[in-house]
Amino acid sequence: MRELIDLDRAQRRRLPDWSEIVDRLRSSTRDTAVAVLRRGGGRPALQPRCGVGGHPEMLALLRALDRAGAPDLLSVTIDSHTRLRHFATADRARRENPGQLNGYPLVAHGWERGRALVDAVGVPLQVRHGSPDGRDLFAVSLAAGITSFEGGGIGYNIPYAKDVPLAESLRAWQQVDAVTAALAGHGVVLERELFGSLTAVLVPPSLSLAMTLLEALLAAEQGVRCVSVSYPQSGEVHQDVAALRAIRSVAARYLPADMTVFTVLHEFMGVFPADRGWAEALVHYGGLVGRIGAADKVITKTRQEAHGIPTAAANAEGLRLARAACSPLLDFIRLNEDRVTEEQAWIETEVAALVEPVLNRAPTLAAGICAAFADGTLDIPFSASVHAHAAVVPLRDPTGAVRYHSPGALPLPRAALDRQRGLLNQRTGRITEKILADINYFAAREPWAAEPEEATA
Amino acid sequence: MGDTAFRSRRRLVLGVAASDAHAVANRLIHLMLVQQGFRPHNLGVCTPLAEFADAAADLDAAAVIVGSVNGHAVEDLRGLPDLRRMGRLRCPVVFGGRPSIDAAGHPAARARLRDLGVDHVLDRPEELPAVLDSILSAALTHA
Ligand code: B12
Repeated sequence: MRELIDLDRAQRRRLPDWSEIVDRLRSSTRDTAVAVLRRGGGRPALQPRCGVGGHPEMLALLRALDRAGAPDLLSVTIDSHTRLRHFATADRARRENPGQLNGYPLVAHGWERGRALVDAVGVPLQVRHGSPDGRDLFAVSLAAGITSFEGGGIGYNIPYAKDVPLAESLRAWQQVDAVTAALAGHGVVLERELFGSLTAVLVPPSLSLAMTLLEALLAAEQGVRCVSVSYPQSGEVHQDVAALRAIRSVAARYLPADMTVFTVLHEFMGVFPADRGWAEALVHYGGLVGRIGAADKVITKTRQEAHGIPTAAANAEGLRLARAACSPLLDFIRLNEDRVTEEQAWIETEVAALVEPVLNRAPTLAAGICAAFADGTLDIPFSASVHAHAAVVPLRDPTGAVRYHSPGALPLPRAALDRQRGLLNQRTGRITEKILADINYFAAREPWAAEPEEATA
Repeated sequence: MGDTAFRSRRRLVLGVAASDAHAVANRLIHLMLVQQGFRPHNLGVCTPLAEFADAAADLDAAAVIVGSVNGHAVEDLRGLPDLRRMGRLRCPVVFGGRPSIDAAGHPAARARLRDLGVDHVLDRPEELPAVLDSILSAALTHA
């Protein structure tokens, strides 16, 4: 195991031997994340994001959510310093002012405390972060006995860092994947969730699916045979259900036949409404889309999303809202299946157009991805990283579906672009105003009833 | 609206604090400033304060504008007093975004930012032009 992954020397010294890490994972009688997903249960598994800086506070948060929200999995959301490998800053912050961290600094707290988190609750944990290079965090997570680790070399770089070359992040994640594959050989199958949400604001579905497909192919190269592919709810239900179905069809077409693919819906990831009623409606809507789209898992949001890091109580309510939306109560809802089928076919066409040129680029898949980002034939809107052109401009069509206003240098087929343009032409106004309006699509809507502004104490 | 030609006389340094990767507001603010006649130099996300200082010195900028929404503003601007003391960052510093991780923490975080030496603590991009105008006109009359 050790030779598969390069770790920071100081961090490595603090870890137990790999043999101990592997033995403990193998002999654990707890459910793994994958076991929960395999079991299914007739509705999507539900999982909130959650992470606070202090260790006792994190224990309390996990226990409170486990009790009040009855999740199927829980998260350990990591703070921003740790994500960027500013381990010393994270360590100082968690000693001096843990209450002001935006997540749990797992590397600074260390694997022993990580084990305490695992032991505190009855459901498996997932580490959710956003690290272009998450290798040390991964090793600490495994030592803690955590069986699910989010991220990939594209989706955890381009939205999450300014200037980490893709070749570096891809290499780091290839090592994570190599360890994942080796662990599966020991009978420990990890959940490896790929972050299709990207920059989360107006992400066209085919772009999300293209990026996670490339990451899944990279994982497959390293021997991984189980991935979760996530997709961010756009807000237009036919488009969203089509995208969830397309994850499966695209996987069947391009990934190895023996690869298990779980589908994950991220409840709306863009700018949330500040109004409590609207925010709750959106959280509920997300659960419903997950159910209709037959997602294996839904990552829930909360009514406090627009206000700040949520309280445990608001987070648990988000889980309950999503669960209610997933109940058979709403099974009478029927979508226009023709519309869904048409959307799905277009998404598949676009994904093929984005991904196939990359697959045919020499010499390796990773090198092909780097070259494609360099010339803009792979790209994402609002890129945080300088290593994507950010020339793609998305907009919503009159139904609210996310479309390509400008594809930048993306090699989308003529017919697809004509269709998108046709749908967008029905809108008038200046482009910057339209983009702003679309970013605030859910936030700007008038609430049906005035409610007192919520204090997020 | 009056003459805004003075807005282009000096550069501004714009960016997002060291631990923060949120890019959307930064891109939109950059666009807005350019459209309104300012000359921002955008350092983008995840920018350590020392890089703001270096860019401001290189460009002889009239102000440094630091955005942050991830809640870590106080920690990320912690080095400001040192940079001031060493004379590495002389121009006014404007902060905008979400000062803390939740609404309850904002008042204390705003006060901390002022203690660190931030000259203007703003919430909304619409507040920027007036503040920048006052900084620019002061800088130009003293030049
Ligand atoms: C999209 C989004 C993301 C995307 C960002 C993609 C990207 N690279 O840009 C992704 C999914 C990657 C993401 C990640 C994270 N996010 Co985020 N994200 C959001 C979300 C949903 C919208 C942000 C957005 O783009 N808004 C649109 C832009 C135009 O506006 P804005 O950023 O809100 O800024 C406004 C004002 O603050 C102000 N402003 C901003 N900057 C500046 C600068 C100046 C000079 C001025 C004057 C004004 C100003 O003007 C804007 C318009 O009014 C918000 C919640 C929401 N609003 O609904 C959370 C939110 C900002 N994220 C949050 C956090 C904590 C994170 C993470 C740290 C993960 C975590 N622990 O939860 C990571 C970031 C990692 C890192 N290293 O920083 C928190 C911040 C908590 C707080 N401070 O209240 C929020 C509020 C969610 C929450 N409720 O917990 N996020």
